[in-house]
Amino acid sequence: MEYVAQLILIAFGAAIINNFVLIYFVGICPFIGVSRRVDMAFGMGCAVTFVISIAGLLSWFFTYYFLREGAPWATAIYNACGGDGPSNLTILSYIIYIFVIASSVQLVEMYVRKFFPTLYKSFGVFLPLITTNCAILFACLEIMKNVAVPAGTDPSQIWGLGQSLTLAFFGGVGFTIAIVIMAGIREDLDLCDVPKPLKGPGITLLVAGILAMAFMGFSGVNGNLEKLLKPETPAMQASAVQQSNKATDETVEGKVPEPKSMKALPQQYPH
Amino acid sequence: MAKDGPTSLERFINGILPENPVYRQILGMCPTLAVTSCMKNAMTMAAAVAFVLICANLVVSLIRNILQPHLRILVFTLTIATFVTIADKVLAAFMYDTSKQLGPYIPLIIVNCLIICRCEVCASKQGVVTAFFDAVGNSLGFALGLATMATVRELLATGSWFDIPLFWKEGTPSETYRWSLMGLAPGAFFTLGLLLGVANWIAEKFAKKQTA
Amino acid sequence: MTKYIKQGWLVVLLALAFGAALAGVNRALDPKIKLNEKNATYDQVPNVVPGADKEKTQPVAKNVLQAFDKEGKPIGWVITATGMGYADQIKALIGLNADASKITGIYILDQKETPGLGSKIATSKWNSQFIGQPANEPLSVHKRMTEAQKQEKNGKIDAISGATISSKALTDKVVNPAVAEFRTALQAGEMTKPKEVETK
Repeated sequence: MEYVAQLILIAFGAAIINNFVLIYFVGICPFIGVSRRVDMAFGMGCAVTFVISIAGLLSWFFTYYFLREGAPWATAIYNACGGDGPSNLTILSYIIYIFVIASSVQLVEMYVRKFFPTLYKSFGVFLPLITTNCAILFACLEIMKNVAVPAGTDPSQIWGLGQSLTLAFFGGVGFTIAIVIMAGIREDLDLCDVPKPLKGPGITLLVAGILAMAFMGFSGVNGNLEKLLKPETPAMQASAVQQSNKATDETVEGKVPEPKSMKALPQQYPH
Repeated sequence: MAKDGPTSLERFINGILPENPVYRQILGMCPTLAVTSCMKNAMTMAAAVAFVLICANLVVSLIRNILQPHLRILVFTLTIATFVTIADKVLAAFMYDTSKQLGPYIPLIIVNCLIICRCEVCASKQGVVTAFFDAVGNSLGFALGLATMATVRELLATGSWFDIPLFWKEGTPSETYRWSLMGLAPGAFFTLGLLLGVANWIAEKFAKKQTA
Repeated sequence: MTKYIKQGWLVVLLALAFGAALAGVNRALDPKIKLNEKNATYDQVPNVVPGADKEKTQPVAKNVLQAFDKEGKPIGWVITATGMGYADQIKALIGLNADASKITGIYILDQKETPGLGSKIATSKWNSQFIGQPANEPLSVHKRMTEAQKQEKNGKIDAISGATISSKALTDKVVNPAVAEFRTALQAGEMTKPKEVETK
């Protein structure tokens, strides 16, 4: 249950709250370049989601078994070759990731062209562009941040395949959401009289700013989502109980009465 | 030195203004938007990009004659990724706080279109000297782009520049007038969109004057 | 086969050269980076436990450091605590005095609360009110406290106006559970002697 709750939090966080494009600014190039028409934008989004999942899977595999400090397989090889102690190959991670991304793009392109010709026709043209899409490397780096943790960290804190794949896939979904909304707006923008210097990227960025503002409204949702999904730890429960006791027989010692409406609300929703 | 294509000086000057990477070529948007909430981060990023761009351009230019064309992109990526790793480690060792704030945006230089574009357009075709000046020019242009963005955003968001408080000082009543939004994601989009408009407008005026 | 060698020798050579360069960089800079990572926490120890000596600080358990003064006398504890804030995880250092009865200081290592509102939890102007608060019972957050009430130090924290959730998150989700857990462990005698704990 705890695990599922964590997955939901990661998924919601990656797709909506910390949207890759609108909050972290990764994948801006296709966001501006390929957002003229909704169908094209959707194709691009699907291609990115597809590749990002595969790249996420592969980069988790490499990070977990080879790159992180004390990674099992790399350590085994290192010790077999006469080394001593845990291996640490984190310095190679950026190079490995970029090649993982490049080769997974190639792989996906070949596979889709061979086995799904119709699918290839609809989004295959975007595939080569994806290699230089920052969103994918960003997902790999986020996975690295949670897998290649310093030695001595609680092993339960290290992300497994489930968390990594969820982050990657829903990061791609977030990208798709953002680019499709953008394309919808831009289709209508074509009919508008935009000042000449702002035409093209300028107005797109301004619209993206407004979209980003809208997405900022989601910040704070994950805090309450966590409360909803995760049972509270005993220490927290104890403190909450003590507090609610305190709150009931509270002698408001500075004669600063709180507004009634505030007091009437349950403890965990202070606003 | 350059048999074909622009000379060193042209490359150098083109990189700064007429073909400014941020405002004219619209390359490398990700760091432009992400790290410009304050000057210090923006300039650190510009320095890191300059280091990677200059090194990558030099290496690519040196090996351009013995490079198999179809292995081109592979070699570019390998070179860039190596120099980015070096830059990342150096930053983590000597400017730990800044490197922590920049977070994933330093490794994201690898997929910055600016660098691979310069390798492809200039360094893989022209000599070492031209490639060097091209890299320096473009780095300066990129730094200029980041600096304008960061100046606008940091001044509006915190009232300071390079962390030196100029107005809306901490602890005074005017602190309330800070435009925090400019330091966040929407502020980045608005600033870049409007500055792009201004740059286009100036370029248009300039072009008109030249033809007239 | 020769065809591949002819085409690929440059890539292999470059890969070797770059690999060597990276190995050199790693060897030269890695100790310094590790030291930086450690110092990010250790540098703040004197700020959260006044009079503590950074060099003498020792890890005693997971997320707990023991602070000593210059003469080597134990004068307090530093706990690293994390908890969910309004926008994202808040990571903080909490300083306690030697018998863990009072909070001696607080320092926010990492937070992503709303800039200008929730981010004020990281300002010493606001979080200095934790200094001197009792640690034996959970702290609670109240709105619109007067200056005089803030000075009483009776376990009540004044909320930041416009950021009650962030103030409450720091108090209820970060400080209270960490302090309670630490005090339980301390009373159980788990913190008595500094033992060797693997450092980064």
